[in-house]
Amino acid sequence: MSATTDTEGGRTIPLYWPVQANRNAGLGGLFVVVLLFAIAYGVLFPGLFTLSGFSKFTQSWFPLALVAMAQALLMLTGGISLAIGATVSLGAVIAATTMSGPLGVAGGSVVVALAGLGFGAATGLIVVKLRLPAIVVTLAGSFIVGGAALLILPRPGGAVPGWLSDLLAGNTPTAFVLLLAVALLWKLYLATPLGLGLYAAGDNPVGAYRSGVPVDAARIAAYAISGLLSTGAGLFVAAQTGSGDPVIGTAFTLNSIAAAVLGGIGFLGGQGTMRGAIAGSLLLSLMISVMFFLGFTPVAQYVAQGLIIIGAVALPQLRRLKR
Amino acid sequence: MTDAAPVLAARGVSKSFFGNPVLRDVSIALLPGRVHALLGENGAGKSTLINILSGALPADGGSVEIDGRAAARITPPEARQAGIAVVQQELSLTASLSIAENIGLGDYPRRFGMIDYRALADRAKSVCALVGLDEALSTPVGTLPLGRRQMVEIAKALYRKPRALILDEPTSSLSATETAILTALLVRLRAEGVAILYISHRLNEVMALCQHVTVLKDGGVTADRPLAGTDADGLVRLMVGRDPGDLFPRWQRSPSASDVVSVNGFSAGLARDIDLDIRTGEVLGIGGLVGQGQEDLLLGIYGAIPAKATTASVNGAPALPSSPPKANALGLAYVPADRKREGLHLIHSIATNLLLPAFARLPALTLRHRSAERETVRELAARFAIKGDPARQAQALSGGNQQKVALAKWMPHDPLVLLLNDPTRGVDVETKREIYIMLRQFAAAGKAVVLLSSDTPELVHVCDRVAVMREGRLVAMLDHGELSEEAIVAAAVGAERRRQAA
Repeated sequence: MSATTDTEGGRTIPLYWPVQANRNAGLGGLFVVVLLFAIAYGVLFPGLFTLSGFSKFTQSWFPLALVAMAQALLMLTGGISLAIGATVSLGAVIAATTMSGPLGVAGGSVVVALAGLGFGAATGLIVVKLRLPAIVVTLAGSFIVGGAALLILPRPGGAVPGWLSDLLAGNTPTAFVLLLAVALLWKLYLATPLGLGLYAAGDNPVGAYRSGVPVDAARIAAYAISGLLSTGAGLFVAAQTGSGDPVIGTAFTLNSIAAAVLGGIGFLGGQGTMRGAIAGSLLLSLMISVMFFLGFTPVAQYVAQGLIIIGAVALPQLRRLKR
Repeated sequence: MTDAAPVLAARGVSKSFFGNPVLRDVSIALLPGRVHALLGENGAGKSTLINILSGALPADGGSVEIDGRAAARITPPEARQAGIAVVQQELSLTASLSIAENIGLGDYPRRFGMIDYRALADRAKSVCALVGLDEALSTPVGTLPLGRRQMVEIAKALYRKPRALILDEPTSSLSATETAILTALLVRLRAEGVAILYISHRLNEVMALCQHVTVLKDGGVTADRPLAGTDADGLVRLMVGRDPGDLFPRWQRSPSASDVVSVNGFSAGLARDIDLDIRTGEVLGIGGLVGQGQEDLLLGIYGAIPAKATTASVNGAPALPSSPPKANALGLAYVPADRKREGLHLIHSIATNLLLPAFARLPALTLRHRSAERETVRELAARFAIKGDPARQAQALSGGNQQKVALAKWMPHDPLVLLLNDPTRGVDVETKREIYIMLRQFAAAGKAVVLLSSDTPELVHVCDRVAVMREGRLVAMLDHGELSEEAIVAAAVGAERRRQAA
């Protein structure tokens, strides 16, 4: 994937980078809005431009970015997940109960990752192999996983080692670096046949199957990766708070959908880009922060947030109807 | 040069869907270095045969042979490995991926597990050059017009270096230039020894390109012979020609015809620039190959899809109805082709289905009049000979009886214009006959009946006039005196005039 050019016969055929550039199509408006909100935030809170201010902001954004990716991944395959919030909670309680025990931080992280991958893959298997609607299976999954989180840690507690909290949620932009790493890994995945097959499986499953794309495998892999991203977000949230809370992830389910929709991910599968979803999550985080600094009450924040999301989805549709 | 063994062949293949035989004992052999034409009317079984040859469907009986090795069924991966490539009518492309990513889909060159974009660009470029695609390889397919997407689909098939190439109506969305490029390409592939199966309704293309022809009719092979020495008229005769038997009622001209709907310069969906008069007291047939805009014509007149016309007069009103309720108020009724999805509410009772248009007319929040409803249902069921308890679910009925319910539900409103979309598709012979008799009775009673049909014989024997559509335009209006299956099929495939072929 590294090559931009081909030199056979002395001619060059650029492909990879032009393809990447074309993926920005239709996102220009979103990037401008994100930039405007970022400027507004910087004006309201000049501390954003200090290292610790930037670190704190990216820490509040990071888990939302992860769950937005987790949701966008499934929406690209034509699915959706209502279990993201519960999976975040599960990740948080597993981290808080294992890391201070004999398993340590490394062992605990492995358990968190396996739980996410395992739950995601199981959901994917049920949705794909039994051909059941994702919305129903993941709704049931959210009860199961949410219940499991409460069984592991009935009330907030547990602990995450202080050094880990300082590393992830201290005054350094570790979260931002991690986000860049996750985005890079996604680019690498999308450059594999299985990763790119995700788009084909979501947009035109029959055509993809006829073309020899392992449609089922691509979709199940998407569910597994989505689970991993969700429990990863849970681990980060536990590190932020220093302990585990079995219902801390609840709000992430709907926020992940909101961020993906703001980022231009379509509900029909195969439409949208991960960079859009990440930008959507950034916009949502900025919106929440800006409204906080403007002194909106939490209730008014919710109303404004809803109006903005409806507007973001309705605008392109109105433009299409006009044509 | 064609003494070689067939690359791909079907031997005595048969297939049924839900007890309906679609293919009966069909054999076909694709030889290297030959372009083989597959002809047949709508519903003759062409698509089913392709799906069996490419492994997408298993055959009920018979076998498929690859290089002389027989198998009861082959899977799509086996077919791909054997070098069989299919260009389907429905495209297998992904809108958000680039041209190159679509062409290589399912068979990417790899390096260290990653897609090797360098090699992909190289290989995609060479097949794009073959089909004359000069857009940048990174262009998302979703931004291309339909004809160019079709060329991407063909390039995708060539990317796999096929030994047997099956093309299902590849030129239906191509421009003249693109068609010429494709023809030249197929000639070249033939010279390279590729076995090609070519399906097209454009007979002049077939005559120019193919060496051998197989004709399917009603799921059976009616001809399998070299094309040399056959003319277009001969092919048309091979595609039709069956006994109408005594399936159809005797045709009688109804008295007193007057225009009830007339449109000029009408366009809706695929239908373009149509001038048409619909008269009371007659059955007007709408014919042509599937998907030439016939359905859009009916839906546009009915107000179910946006339509425009330079002048229109619908039962006295000076404009097209803008919605189905307005069309109903003007005395129009529409019976859709897909009765399971559009015509009926399958899980509701027969009685509910029959009363639905009546419910739509009641002012909201009035009380239902149960005894009057029961009487209406009883009357309709008796008049249309609908079998079964009206309290049962509509899905319990046979296809024929479902169709009768879909038609009967409009009768309480005594519509003046009946727009029928293929009312006899998938209906048994007995019910077909009942429906034909009813249509003639409606016409005799002074109603206007519009019969869109994919079944050519019924157009010939039931209609007073038949309008034939091709590529969205009304290309022929045949009066009862000039009606024949040959005339309709000839107009539908564009072989009706000598000057057509050039």
